[in-house]
Amino acid sequence: MRYETKSRARVIFHVDMNSFYASVEMAYKPSLKGKPLAIAGNPEERRGIIVTCSYEARKFGVKTTMPLWEAKKLCPDLIVLPPNFDRYRIFSQKIFQTLRDYTDLVEPVSIDEGYMDITEYIQKHPVSIAQDIQNRLLKELDLPCSIGIAPNKFLAKMASDMKKPLGVTVLRKRDIPKILWPMPVSEMHGCGAKTTEKLNGIGIKKIEDLAKANDVQLKNLLGINGIRLKERANGFDPRKVDPDSINDYKSIGNSTTLPRDITSEKDLLSILQSLARTVSARLKNKDVFTTNVAITIRYKNRKTITRSEKLENPIREEQDIYNQAKHIFMKHWDGSPVRLLGITGNDLVEEQHVVKQLDLFTFEEDAKEEPLIETIEQLREKFGHDIIKKGIKVERKEGQTDTSFDKDFLRKN
Amino acid sequence: MKFFIQKDRLIEAVSDVLKAVASRTTIPILVGIKIDTTDEGVYLTGSDSDISIKSFIPREEEDTEIVEIVEKGSIVLHARFFSEVVRKLPESIVEVSVEDQFKTVIRSGNAEFIIHGLDAEEYPRLPQINQENSFTMPTDLLKNVIKQTVFAVSTSETRPILTGVHWTFENNELIAVATDSHRLALKKATLQTSLEQDQSFSIVIPGKSLTELTKVLDDNQEPVEIIVTENQILFKAKNLLFYSRLLEGKYPDTSKLIPTDSKTTTKLNSKEFLEAVDRASLLAREGKNNVIKFAILENDIIEISSYTPEIGKVVEKVKSLAVEGEDIKISFSAKYMMDALRAIDATDITIYFTGSMRPFILKSDSDDTILQLILPVRTF
Repeated sequence: MRYETKSRARVIFHVDMNSFYASVEMAYKPSLKGKPLAIAGNPEERRGIIVTCSYEARKFGVKTTMPLWEAKKLCPDLIVLPPNFDRYRIFSQKIFQTLRDYTDLVEPVSIDEGYMDITEYIQKHPVSIAQDIQNRLLKELDLPCSIGIAPNKFLAKMASDMKKPLGVTVLRKRDIPKILWPMPVSEMHGCGAKTTEKLNGIGIKKIEDLAKANDVQLKNLLGINGIRLKERANGFDPRKVDPDSINDYKSIGNSTTLPRDITSEKDLLSILQSLARTVSARLKNKDVFTTNVAITIRYKNRKTITRSEKLENPIREEQDIYNQAKHIFMKHWDGSPVRLLGITGNDLVEEQHVVKQLDLFTFEEDAKEEPLIETIEQLREKFGHDIIKKGIKVERKEGQTDTSFDKDFLRKN
Repeated sequence: MKFFIQKDRLIEAVSDVLKAVASRTTIPILVGIKIDTTDEGVYLTGSDSDISIKSFIPREEEDTEIVEIVEKGSIVLHARFFSEVVRKLPESIVEVSVEDQFKTVIRSGNAEFIIHGLDAEEYPRLPQINQENSFTMPTDLLKNVIKQTVFAVSTSETRPILTGVHWTFENNELIAVATDSHRLALKKATLQTSLEQDQSFSIVIPGKSLTELTKVLDDNQEPVEIIVTENQILFKAKNLLFYSRLLEGKYPDTSKLIPTDSKTTTKLNSKEFLEAVDRASLLAREGKNNVIKFAILENDIIEISSYTPEIGKVVEKVKSLAVEGEDIKISFSAKYMMDALRAIDATDITIYFTGSMRPFILKSDSDDTILQLILPVRTF
């Protein structure tokens, strides 16, 4: 049996910035406005692909993930800029600040999109609130966005996609058969290339087919996710807007595509060392430790393996992470050329909950610190836990990585 | 080969030797059980090359005939099939006879199985054991020595020597020690038959072997003869031979690591304390570790607590029977504490602390042959 809490229908917004990086560059340098603009990784390295592009560039057929040379062929006047992630972060923070003027229930999903639950903020009609937000972002930050309005996250996300740029789209439950169902499943949020392929394989082409599909068949094909997708196709999505979700770290990882395929053990280990440095800095930034280190190796033939090992005691120092990553790497690397390397810290533990099981043969090292720790303990008892900490916590710029996937900065402190 | 045997005795012997038979083995014939019949009776042998168990079923016992040997001989039968077949036979008497080409017929009542056996000549010989160092111990004491130590061996292969229990023989005494480097269990036992003067030596027995040994030994006070060679140990009980390989390598010297003095001691009722630790760990084991806090408060009150983020916290106060020395706050694994308390199995226990980041020991006032040591957990 499936039912919804009838207490109150929610009003959820999905705010999606339009070609965010390109828009930020234009806001930063207005002379770029109205010109075909693309943001692309360093063309010298393998990363020379279009990250995002302006609507003017899209008219020429330039698309995200297209190699730079191909884009240039389609649009010879294309202006190409390297990404400036620091700039995007600043703008992103301003966007979410603006959204929080309306409600505390703002959940950033990535650097350029987020959900809002404005159910409690009902001074105006939701559409006028959305228009107000859109106008403010355009006027104050010079950034265009599209907003989807719906009773849940999934429908809001689908709605924001329907009109770009500068759209405000309402998607009601009763609109589902008319608007949502005729769309191909590939258009559905949460339905990637592989899922689409699988669904097409059993004759599910349109969202309507999915909405009416057989539960057992879906479950066999996609597991529990199949049932979830079907529920969404029928307009059900029980997920709440959770402002803290961005604070829940499940893992912290970094990977890097190598400028060329590398076979030299020495070179690969030095890359691991630098990845360990970044991961360590990010763990410290977030006051967490990892108890399970994983490494990712992508080979020249694109075959990718991830291997992890659980640790007895939590770690976060660069050298500890490097040693563990090296140990796993040496165990699993088959010696063939490597295209990408990554280190991830899983099973994170917050600093104040970290414990270390002492070892009979090495405990003396820890016991040496006993008098110091006793003093700290006494101070804490008198003045509270935060009165003293070991080491100085400084903002570590080092740990920030230049990818849009790094959402660390979106946390509210 | 042909014999008739009482089914119950056969089932019992098969299930004993089956404990040594590995499901996967590099020596194919070891998936089988070897059966030998002699004038004395029937011998069954199972082995995974680390452990070998030989069980004997005599022709008669207390004037009752158990086996009737018609023709002597040997055969190897697939262990799993043989044991399942024997268990399911209908009557109380089983006939086993080997025909040509190792084809073996097993009959009981109207049921008849034909199993293709293997040549017993191919089966590896059991280690030759000379009576080098030999002594005896009552079965129940031997089982206690094992049970009170073996749980503390390491399960990780990072230091293989720690997967075994260290047995030191000295001055007519056996000292068994096991540690996974986070806790240590020690048990002393007096030997029944004395060793030769000034003779002392030590061996490391795989923890797994000892665990299996306790399963095949009966609960009684019959003596078990223990014979040690350079790389094998043999336990001789009534109608049973248990061989185990010994671990090679030097076991770390743990005697210096066991603290002899203490800053704080507290005496507790074992059962009460064990139950409180168990309750405190209910929430702790949901978290990433199973850590509880232990603090001595005023008036000999002990506070046991645990906090697991997102799940909750638990606090319980236990009255100590006696406290001496400095106050202490210490954290440790609830599992290690429960293992230790269960191993000591006494009404009261005394805990000797030497500092919040140093090993502490648990002892019973009534039994000084057992000691449990635990390394605390450091919190930050």
